[in-house]
Amino acid sequence: MKALHTAATGMMAQELSVEVIANNIANMRTTGFKRQRAEFQDLLYANLRRTGAATSDAGTIVPVGVQIGSGVRTVATPRVMTQGGVTTTERELDLALRGEGFFRVQLPDGRTGYTRDGSFERDAEGNLVTADGYIVEPGITIPGDANSITISAQGQVQAYVGTDTTPTDLGQVDIARFVNKTGLESIGDNLFVETASSGPAQVGVPGDAGYGTLLQGYLEDSNVEAVTEISDMIAAQRAYEMNARVISGADEMLSSTANILR
Amino acid sequence: MENAQIIGLSRQVALRRELDFIANNLANLNTTGFRGESVMFEEYLMPVAEMDSFRQPDRQLSYVLDRGTFHNFDQGNVVTTGAPLDVALQGEGFFVVQAPEGERYTRAGSFAIDNTGTLVTLDGKPVMGEGGTIVFGPDDVDIAIAGDGTISVGGEARDRLRVVEFAQPQLLEKVGENLFSGTGGAPAERTRVMQGALEKSNVTAVAEISRMIEVTRTYETISHLLAKGADLRSKAIEKLGTTNA
Repeated sequence: MKALHTAATGMMAQELSVEVIANNIANMRTTGFKRQRAEFQDLLYANLRRTGAATSDAGTIVPVGVQIGSGVRTVATPRVMTQGGVTTTERELDLALRGEGFFRVQLPDGRTGYTRDGSFERDAEGNLVTADGYIVEPGITIPGDANSITISAQGQVQAYVGTDTTPTDLGQVDIARFVNKTGLESIGDNLFVETASSGPAQVGVPGDAGYGTLLQGYLEDSNVEAVTEISDMIAAQRAYEMNARVISGADEMLSSTANILR
Repeated sequence: MENAQIIGLSRQVALRRELDFIANNLANLNTTGFRGESVMFEEYLMPVAEMDSFRQPDRQLSYVLDRGTFHNFDQGNVVTTGAPLDVALQGEGFFVVQAPEGERYTRAGSFAIDNTGTLVTLDGKPVMGEGGTIVFGPDDVDIAIAGDGTISVGGEARDRLRVVEFAQPQLLEKVGENLFSGTGGAPAERTRVMQGALEKSNVTAVAEISRMIEVTRTYETISHLLAKGADLRSKAIEKLGTTNA
């Protein structure tokens, strides 16, 4: 019976939907997290009686045919790359991105990672690093005796070194953007890597046309909205239940057939 | 004697098919832009060799036949997502998508931009504008889509989403992947485009579930009927077939 399999695809799809929502809710307070969404498509249709087939020699045709669908499949779990809210932290190395762009991070395996999480630190050598200790590109070294570090909206890093009365330029934080940022691959740790579908990274200075700006002392919250997630979850849960009901309905029908002959 | 069985069977086959439809509708309860379907039945009169010289003429037998599927083109619920490339249609129109087999039509407006900057569906099929495929440059930000489908980048009109309407939408055929195929699409006049929103499936869960209950119960009733028929026959054979030796 086809209905059994069709309902099974429905249950699997809703299960995946709940998994995606669970991950969104789990990352509700993760800095720079972008929520995902499960998108579905219907599966192939079986044409039992084709629309437009001739019904007589006089040229009459079938106005509506019989087409039975075979369920649903998950086509993508795109990330919703909208801006998250910003919260003040008053730490001088916390950066929030407003608008387009990703910070570039040097991964231990030599690749470049991209992140919206701007909670940076100084390591033992004074390098600007992420919370995991990965160097933020293009590489900014802050001297040990530097104080009052300022990072401008355009990414220029300045600090008063030692007893200097004028600030010293320490470097420039640059950001990358992509033609198709939803095509980036997530590798965990708030990091993304570029893929064939994201296109190559285009590195630029914050504030340039098409690039966002930086905000020192703030962090970008996740863009997960609890209300949306919960209502999506209820919808997925109920849809799951209904598909389960179809399975038991089909089961009842089969068992009543089996019981004709006792 | 077997007529009751065979007619009952024709109904059961039809009911199973109807359950297949309900299952597909419910499986796609959360599929963006999905259009529900229902099945239409027809009475099929068995052409019997009629003999009217008996006192009781032959009765006509009518079977059940599923004659067609009816697409439900009601508007689905529109939910706001806030994503700039999510577009919902209000009205009877369809977006035009370039599939490998040719132009296809869809109500699912969750689009994305691929690595070449082309506006595509989530499985990578280009979405058509009035001037062919819609391509964005790497520096294009603030993509806005107006109510009539006009796409503008940074306040400058770029292209317009092609939206078509069909005089006879029932003739459209579903090909899976949220797509329809068909002919006779004319530029839409009564359809509006909404940016930052998606149209959900138009399947109403309550209606489907109650239809399902009806289907399963009817099926059971007919099963009982068939069982009774079989009983009757076996009793008849038992009673009439006993010979007193």
